[in-house]
Amino acid sequence: MSEVKLTQLGIKDSRDLLNKKEISATELTNAYIQNIEESSKLNAFIETTFDKALMQASKADKIIGTDSQKSLCGIPLGIKDLFCCKNVKTQAASDILENFIPPYESTVTQKLWNEQAIMLGKLNMDEFAMGSSNETSTYGPVINPWKSTGSHDSLTPGGSSGGSSAAVAANLCTGATGTDTGGSIRQPASFTGTVGLKPTYGRCSRWGIIAFASSFDQAGPITKNVTDSAIMLKAMSGFDPLDSTSAKIDVPDYEQELGKDIKGLRVGLAKEYSLQNGDSEANRKLEEAIKIFKNMGAEIVEVSLPHTEFALPTYYVLAPAEASSNLARYDGVRYGHRAKLDTNDSILELYEKTRSEGFGTEVKRRILIGTYVLSSGYYDAYYKRAQKVRSLIKNDFDEVFKKVDIILTPTTPTSAFPLGSKGTQDPVEMYMNDIFTVPANLAGLPAISLPVGLDELGLPLGVQLIGNNWQEPLLLNTAFNLENTLAFENNPKKWWA
Amino acid sequence: MEIDTETVLKIARLSRIKINEGESADIQKDLNRIVEFVKKLGEIDIDGVDEFNFGKTNIEDMRKDSVTIYDNTDDILKNTKNKNQDFFTVPKIVE
Repeated sequence: MSEVKLTQLGIKDSRDLLNKKEISATELTNAYIQNIEESSKLNAFIETTFDKALMQASKADKIIGTDSQKSLCGIPLGIKDLFCCKNVKTQAASDILENFIPPYESTVTQKLWNEQAIMLGKLNMDEFAMGSSNETSTYGPVINPWKSTGSHDSLTPGGSSGGSSAAVAANLCTGATGTDTGGSIRQPASFTGTVGLKPTYGRCSRWGIIAFASSFDQAGPITKNVTDSAIMLKAMSGFDPLDSTSAKIDVPDYEQELGKDIKGLRVGLAKEYSLQNGDSEANRKLEEAIKIFKNMGAEIVEVSLPHTEFALPTYYVLAPAEASSNLARYDGVRYGHRAKLDTNDSILELYEKTRSEGFGTEVKRRILIGTYVLSSGYYDAYYKRAQKVRSLIKNDFDEVFKKVDIILTPTTPTSAFPLGSKGTQDPVEMYMNDIFTVPANLAGLPAISLPVGLDELGLPLGVQLIGNNWQEPLLLNTAFNLENTLAFENNPKKWWA
Repeated sequence: MEIDTETVLKIARLSRIKINEGESADIQKDLNRIVEFVKKLGEIDIDGVDEFNFGKTNIEDMRKDSVTIYDNTDDILKNTKNKNQDFFTVPKIVE
């Protein structure tokens, strides 16, 4: 089998070939290493761990076919730079964590290694996962493997998990970890023709994932297809005594759920999630998805989530508030960047200069706004009020899930946009990208983005399915049924090698 | 504008982020833009609405309140150049 084809396979197909001994884990890993080495123009991988990968592959080759074999044996993965990996440089794409080497491993990545997956390296992202275009990374932006028809413009792969989405779309790994605080898995998946799943809050442990907004952050997979998403999610999920918000509930075998009939499924369409331009390819693709569901015997139900318009303002109070607290730990004392001090500088100057030099513009902006909404005199007007509105948004979903099983929405207002084209004059312009993804984070609900086709520009478009709490099996099966009919092929022209 | 120059400097001080004069105007403009955006929350009647929470934590799911000894000091200290024996060093705090 030629190497190009080998790296197009994804998790399930690679697993099947490994099990049949038609390929070896070493062969598969080497094929990915070659692809990564040719991909510097994409700027997706920021740290590679090829020696470790080849050692893991060699071990996997000895285990495959034995009783010791686990679910991801020999499967090469990429890891978002937000996950602490023991003895591997981890910076959350920020200067303030300059050369930080974690002495411990995050629970989610440890689970992947326990399942005998192979680690190819760390993936680029927005600094501290704050961004929707990957442009806030200290390593510079990731470039989307996809380009508009007839154009050479560099497009964003989305953010914050842009390295993960680009790497999966460009066949640099079988699948990748991402994290999603306001859409950071689903929006990049939508922009790159990949599948991105944000699980229910509490499904995956947050321990060892560098914190942004703790009541929103969730880890999840970015993969080539829904089956791979199911396989990877199972390995990542589960209760962890080190994260008190992780849920003590059973982890289903998501892959087993796939392929079930969805006849009678009630699919909700919320009027608040309509696209501004009704006469667009994006709208036609959404209509196509609705038609597919109808043909499969699903029932389409019009629903309303009346507080949707307040979701983004709520998020932009609460997430920065939590970030300002979480990021208070970066003081230059114990690790990461420390500013050069003048002779008479005090410890206060150490903190202030270090944080001024170490954080980028967007991160500083969010720390400052978060500090403001939590400060004396403003707490009730902003933070407390936003917490109450968050309840109203959650109540909207609770009401709707009495009438439907799944909600269908667009993932993003547009397809991938050119780098440098948004948010340079007005930060809120960039925030608007997350308009359809943020509500699921506010309510803690699971949601998946999967590709539905290409738009007028020849760029991938995603649709989002939102499920009720812990309904990942239903969510994945519904996505699987839609994916099978759509038969989208993720094959961007390989311009980067 | 809700956030004036003095407020910018105050929250920068609370955030322990040094802001120079050149940056201050841009930051002020951006923060006011965000405040204007989130002011929409003032339009909702929130009387009688509880603050959001994910529900009660099950006490039996929590870890035992017990001491864990973490003793790989060397690994921790590998992340800094500013150390003296097993301690981090900082500018002088007491006179």
